[in-house]
Amino acid sequence: MPLLKIDNAELEVESGITVLQAATANRIEIPHYCYHPALETVGSCRMCIVQIEGMPKLQVSCNTFVGEAPPDKKIDEKYDMVVHTQTELVKQGRKNVLEFLLLNHPLDCPVCDQAGECFLQDYAFKFGNAHSRFEEEKRVRPSEYLGSQIVINQNRCIMCTRCVRFTRQISGTGELFVQKRGYDFKISALEDQPLDNLLAGNVTDICPVGALLSTDYIHKNRIWNLHEQPSVCQDCSVGCNINVFYQKDRIFRVSPRENHDANGYFICDIGRYGFHRFEEIERMTSPMRRDEEELTEIQWDEAIKVVAKNLSDAKEKIVFVASPFHTNETNFMLGRFQKGFFGALPLIEEEGITYPSGFSINSDRSPNHRGMNDVCPSILEDMASEIDQQNIKVMYILDDGVDRELDQEWKEILMKMDFVVVQSYALTEVAESAHIILPGLAPFEREGTVTNDQGRVQWLRPSLPLKGKARPDWRIIMEVVNTMGKQELSYSDVGEILAEMGKCFPAYEGVSLFRLGDYGLSINGKVKSS
Amino acid sequence: MSDFQPILTEHIHQKECHTLSFYISVGGYSALEKVLAMSADDVIELVKASNLRGRGGAGFPAGVKWSFIPQDGEKPKYLINNADESEPGTFKDRLLINKTPHQILEGMIIASYAIGCNTAFIYIRGEFFKEYQLLEKVVAEAYEGNFLGKGILGSDYDLDVVIHRGAGAYICGEETGLIESLEGKRGWPRIKPPFPAIEGYLKCPTVVNNVETLSNLPHIINRGPEWFKSIGPEKGPGPKLFCVSGNVNSPGVFEEPMGIPLKDLIFDLAGGIKDGNELKAVFPGGSSSAILTAEEALSVNMDFDSLAEIKTMLGSAGVIVMDEKVDMVQACLNIARFYAHESCGQCTPCREGTAWLVKILTRITSGDGNSNDIDMILEITDNIGGLIDFSKGSFGKTICPFGEAVAWPVRSFVEKFENNFRQYISQEESVT
Repeated sequence: MPLLKIDNAELEVESGITVLQAATANRIEIPHYCYHPALETVGSCRMCIVQIEGMPKLQVSCNTFVGEAPPDKKIDEKYDMVVHTQTELVKQGRKNVLEFLLLNHPLDCPVCDQAGECFLQDYAFKFGNAHSRFEEEKRVRPSEYLGSQIVINQNRCIMCTRCVRFTRQISGTGELFVQKRGYDFKISALEDQPLDNLLAGNVTDICPVGALLSTDYIHKNRIWNLHEQPSVCQDCSVGCNINVFYQKDRIFRVSPRENHDANGYFICDIGRYGFHRFEEIERMTSPMRRDEEELTEIQWDEAIKVVAKNLSDAKEKIVFVASPFHTNETNFMLGRFQKGFFGALPLIEEEGITYPSGFSINSDRSPNHRGMNDVCPSILEDMASEIDQQNIKVMYILDDGVDRELDQEWKEILMKMDFVVVQSYALTEVAESAHIILPGLAPFEREGTVTNDQGRVQWLRPSLPLKGKARPDWRIIMEVVNTMGKQELSYSDVGEILAEMGKCFPAYEGVSLFRLGDYGLSINGKVKSS
Repeated sequence: MSDFQPILTEHIHQKECHTLSFYISVGGYSALEKVLAMSADDVIELVKASNLRGRGGAGFPAGVKWSFIPQDGEKPKYLINNADESEPGTFKDRLLINKTPHQILEGMIIASYAIGCNTAFIYIRGEFFKEYQLLEKVVAEAYEGNFLGKGILGSDYDLDVVIHRGAGAYICGEETGLIESLEGKRGWPRIKPPFPAIEGYLKCPTVVNNVETLSNLPHIINRGPEWFKSIGPEKGPGPKLFCVSGNVNSPGVFEEPMGIPLKDLIFDLAGGIKDGNELKAVFPGGSSSAILTAEEALSVNMDFDSLAEIKTMLGSAGVIVMDEKVDMVQACLNIARFYAHESCGQCTPCREGTAWLVKILTRITSGDGNSNDIDMILEITDNIGGLIDFSKGSFGKTICPFGEAVAWPVRSFVEKFENNFRQYISQEESVT
């Protein structure tokens, strides 16, 4: 392995990687704009210049490769390459590039959505000049829509072409291109093909400056007001890693979080904008009982008692309906009922898409189908006919939520029940059939683990506070089980349930929130318990 | 007048000199026959020994360029004849295409054979429409005569030639910009490495040679490298086409040995300065070269090394002559405008810097200059490309040499004709 020296750091690195990659992996900052690890290198911004011993000119670190030097070419008899990132020459070079980039920039940071997370701001602050020597008129051009949700502020664009390369190399849709030439350049979308593919939102994330903006977030808030919660997308079984940006009880933005064992660098727009569908729903905030056609609020104690009594009376003639939209812990807790049948409603499936770069949107639009099957007692393959054959009249349903539409068959099955309990956060079609509704948490309020289709367990972290009298779903089940009187469960948080789960299902043995951290763990290779 | 016997342009005054039958009648394609009996390695060694340097601008040794092509590997190899001639003041390749197209084609076949290529391209400047039509005919003739196609002249060597028209961008003369354009993409130069010899056209090993470079090959094969080296300076020898334009009495293309005094080119061959005016300045190698003062021009020889010594270059040998009536500030603005217009816009310094130069120069010429402007221009040119001054980290500021191509001339105008700029600025300052 070549021995590389960057400033004062001695690094042993893989042969064939670039100086920029070596520096980044070792937390040495080399400023750059056009380079993005997911995209082909173009080397055009000229920001990542460094000085390399033995080379007369400054080199762009994004396209300078580290390799073994022959014995007589080693520097100080041991280094294969010696790189300087802090010499006067390099500092002056960066200043010059930044000066060029800012010549025609409007310097409108006070009203720019990128302010606070802008590489032009950050690098100008760290490496640039404090004043401008530009006395001429600036290039001023109107903003344009590139797609129905993407706007470009042409004046802020630094022409790094990350967005153009994204549509060519990642989404493969090729809507964007550079129009005109040189100083008159601008990023445009094809006239008959606007930037409306399902990965379009990513261009606003990879844009290093405030040029590409999502209409969903534009002028809504300032980034420094928002909390950033690392979590997992719940809109399909890929389990993309995300950051949820929220303030108080409102989400403002969802953006991708890099995880090469799940989504890579990107997310799709279904997940990016999906949080909006929970904003306008009629939220369940209190337990409800159905009297004739009317739903009336009741107290938790009473609700739990009624449910426990009905379940006890039904003996084993009960179906517990698990949900791939709920966490492992909630589904595992459902299994603590022990006596009865376990089933799930049919999968919610839509068209799956795999992009040329390998990025996928799965057809299974639930986040935890794999996990539900892992941690629930054997789920019935044909729940409908089992209900019929066993003449079951009592159901306890973990509601899939607002995405579940009931077909006629299931509506009829639910109509025939004597007693239906639904744990839900909204008055969904399923909840409409309930005799008792127990208010659980909505997707961005939940905490627990989910397992994606590749067997990766990931930590779903909450970003919104719970609402009204709603309670965590696992806690509701625990209370019902305890009230039925046969067990005395006493978990105080999801971590404890996870530990218990590991004892029952070897695949999950040793999995803890601490070990999951930001990137999760794969349970592949471990045998699934029956 | 020079007593040099033209080699590349020997027959251009003959009727029908562009036809196959004429070319054969003067010994054309005899070099190809010799080459087909040689090994490819021997052809490369022979051309290396001749010290033939590229005639497109950079002056890179042709044989060395060929030897970078990996000889193992499965990928096909490509030769591209760069006929995009777009450097201002340059019009030699156009003459060669019009008058001696088979000489070019023979050179292409020799080069293709040497690097083991079976498909070669002619990338021709879009504006050369008549020349394009002629080349189509010439290539068809060559196929008919079995100089192209399968089993050339009874050998087992096959070669196809495809002609591709450019769409009029200056930057497509740069070899990687040209390759991108040939692939059907925007003509944006590529970051190197990889160099075209390793990953060029369609990521396959590719050599790009200029029209004039290729035209020399049949003669080197026929008469040997020693003969070639005897013409002009040994390190960069051979016959050379010089394009002389501007304020001279007889502008045109002149074939002379490398190293001819610039003075002779201007005053003998091109008939001296028009209207009896004084010589003021000369671009020796197209508008990308640093400009020379009259004094420098009268003493320099036209070859790679002599020109590099006085910090300019032979480039494309486009000699642009300016007399005393030329306003050097306006001329500088004109040059800067050209480069700002042709900058592809990829690299930050070139895209923003060229436009900045134009804005400052426009302000100066319209009487709004100030005394800081001169230093500012010098600094901007340094930050785009800069003169050859390694201590300042010049070079490498842009992906391709376009940065230098604008920095060199603009900087040289300001350095060498500073008084002209000061006059514009002081007029304004005295008014205020």
